[in-house]
Amino acid sequence: MAIDARAPGLTRQSVDDLADAQQEPDWLRARRRAAWDVYEATPNPERTDEEWRRTDLRWLQWESLTPAAPLDGVAGVPATVPTAALDPSVTLVMSAAGAHVVDVSPEARSAGVVALDLAEAAQTRPELVRDNLSTTAVAPEQGKFQALNAALWQGGALVHVPRGAALAQPILVVASGDAALRQPHLLASLGEGAQASIVEWWADTGAGSPVLVNGATELFAASGAHLTYAHVQALALDARSVLSQRAVVSRDATLASTNVTVGGRFHKARVEATLVEPGANAVLNGAFRLGSRQFVDHHTTQDHLATDGTSDLLFAGVLDGRARSVYAGTIVVDPAAQRTNAYQNNRNLLLSSGTRADSIPRLEIMADDVRCTHGATTSTLEPSHLYYLCSRGLTHAQARELIVEGYFEAVLDRVPHEGVRDVLREALTGPAAGNDGATGI
Amino acid sequence: MHNGSGADALVIDDLHVTVNDMPILKGIDLHVPKGEVHALMGPNGSGKSTLANTLMGHPAFEVTSGSVTFKGQNLLELETDERARLGVFMAFQYPSEITGVRVSNFLRMALNAQREDEISAMEFRRLMMEKMRLLRMDPKFAGRYLNEGFSGGEKKRNEILQMAVLQPELAILDETDSGLDIDALRIVADGVNTLRGAEMATLVITHYQRLLNYIVPDVVHVLIDGRIARTGDKELALELDEMGYEAITAAQEA
Repeated sequence: MAIDARAPGLTRQSVDDLADAQQEPDWLRARRRAAWDVYEATPNPERTDEEWRRTDLRWLQWESLTPAAPLDGVAGVPATVPTAALDPSVTLVMSAAGAHVVDVSPEARSAGVVALDLAEAAQTRPELVRDNLSTTAVAPEQGKFQALNAALWQGGALVHVPRGAALAQPILVVASGDAALRQPHLLASLGEGAQASIVEWWADTGAGSPVLVNGATELFAASGAHLTYAHVQALALDARSVLSQRAVVSRDATLASTNVTVGGRFHKARVEATLVEPGANAVLNGAFRLGSRQFVDHHTTQDHLATDGTSDLLFAGVLDGRARSVYAGTIVVDPAAQRTNAYQNNRNLLLSSGTRADSIPRLEIMADDVRCTHGATTSTLEPSHLYYLCSRGLTHAQARELIVEGYFEAVLDRVPHEGVRDVLREALTGPAAGNDGATGI
Repeated sequence: MHNGSGADALVIDDLHVTVNDMPILKGIDLHVPKGEVHALMGPNGSGKSTLANTLMGHPAFEVTSGSVTFKGQNLLELETDERARLGVFMAFQYPSEITGVRVSNFLRMALNAQREDEISAMEFRRLMMEKMRLLRMDPKFAGRYLNEGFSGGEKKRNEILQMAVLQPELAILDETDSGLDIDALRIVADGVNTLRGAEMATLVITHYQRLLNYIVPDVVHVLIDGRIARTGDKELALELDEMGYEAITAAQEA
């Protein structure tokens, strides 16, 4: 292939090389080039930007990022992904070599589910890609990382569940590979009245850790659709990652999304939902469990553009060791979005005195007939609770773990799909969750 | 009355305990053999709950002198969870509410903590349902979060349910009657009476005589200002009910 992995730094040529290698249609090449221009024109994030005020990016040497060489062959599903427990209807692996469909169940086949490599889909199913890719959900203009992904995503995936189809078993999309710079891009859409669950899993591949995973996730729920979506960031503990995720929710559609973070040493996520038509409904869940010196920054946006929308957000974190978290959440209500009902809650449980959790709520309300509330709590382990549990024979470590598991139930209770809920619980509380001080029992 | 001199008894010898450097227990001697129910009565602030929590190993209570042995072991050397696994159980006056932790999951974990081999899910379910029937508890209770949103009566019944499942060898009931109406009190007392037997020593701590109509004690102790002021049989509780604690205090001071 045309990409030369030894070429230093990312250049405009990297964009053309990638488009050539993937034999992309002209419109996609043009879109990548335009995104590259935005990338070059956008200054690097600085601590003086409000969004980056508490988030240290000094580790990132922009000029030393190099494009990923395509792998020989395709990446399989890493053993760390609980494929068997999830029993997916479709399994797809995203890597620099492209998205590879591992498995499609008869259920998904008869429902007409589309699961394709994104570059291939741009050729064969442009009607499912062209309108939605890097346009209204995650656009280059939204920032440096977003522009970089739009210009140079590699190994993206398209998932589409057609109008009226209902899928009981979840669709699993795994981000894998061993490239130093990984830029997965998931574009997923549900047609009118469709119902499906999608689980996106950023896996620890056991291979060399990435310098940066810069991923984008664009979700579209058409009128009356029910989308259950989960993102699991379970990268190796020395990985660094940035996620830009936005769901566009249409008339009377329902989104229930859950972002779980347990891996990586640095994770910055924008989690956003736009309620574009009347009666849209978004439940936004987040759960993160950090130890040692892990750092997580969540910026969430509940963007109400139309009347009678409801959004309900709950992000809960458990921090141990010297972990740090930043949560900043904004509820935006457009002047047109009368009768909006929006709620935002962030809670953090600090297990050790070396941890710190910052919580910054913001409301931008421009309509007058709305109900918007927010809350934030940060707590520590209650000694009386530990005493009570230990008085029944549990060791201190068991008691602590039980309290932590219980802490996440408030979030997990809001995940509508039982199978998805179970794998998320396992990700948060199983032996892989947390590290150092946060080791499971 | 100290006839049950078996090595398994709870033996408290000249126990002194302080909280934040303030002396609360000032020399307690108590001997509770297996198979007996002892009631510990006393006015507010006399040190009843301090004694219960000292036996359970609450970190806020500091033993300054004296000893506590149970089953021949020095209890004071053991952590709270080690005491529990030795067979000590305390029904809390104010049980903690722990969100997200289901009663059944917690109980199964607690039971497994003191067993050599894990109980099977089936066997545990059968055991729990049997005990819940005994305490006239709705089976739905098992799926609720531990004490969260429970009424006072439900919390106390949940304590006795744990006791019934864990089958301790030393049970300490810390004011289990407080806040209970008469029906709940009967159910709780029935539960305790069913569990009473040759293998369990029981210490019932209460302010009021009422509970002792239902859980009839072998021995009654009166705790006043950190010391056992009187010891007698169940009639002593009735006497206290009539005369009040002041009579004993006055007799002591005379």
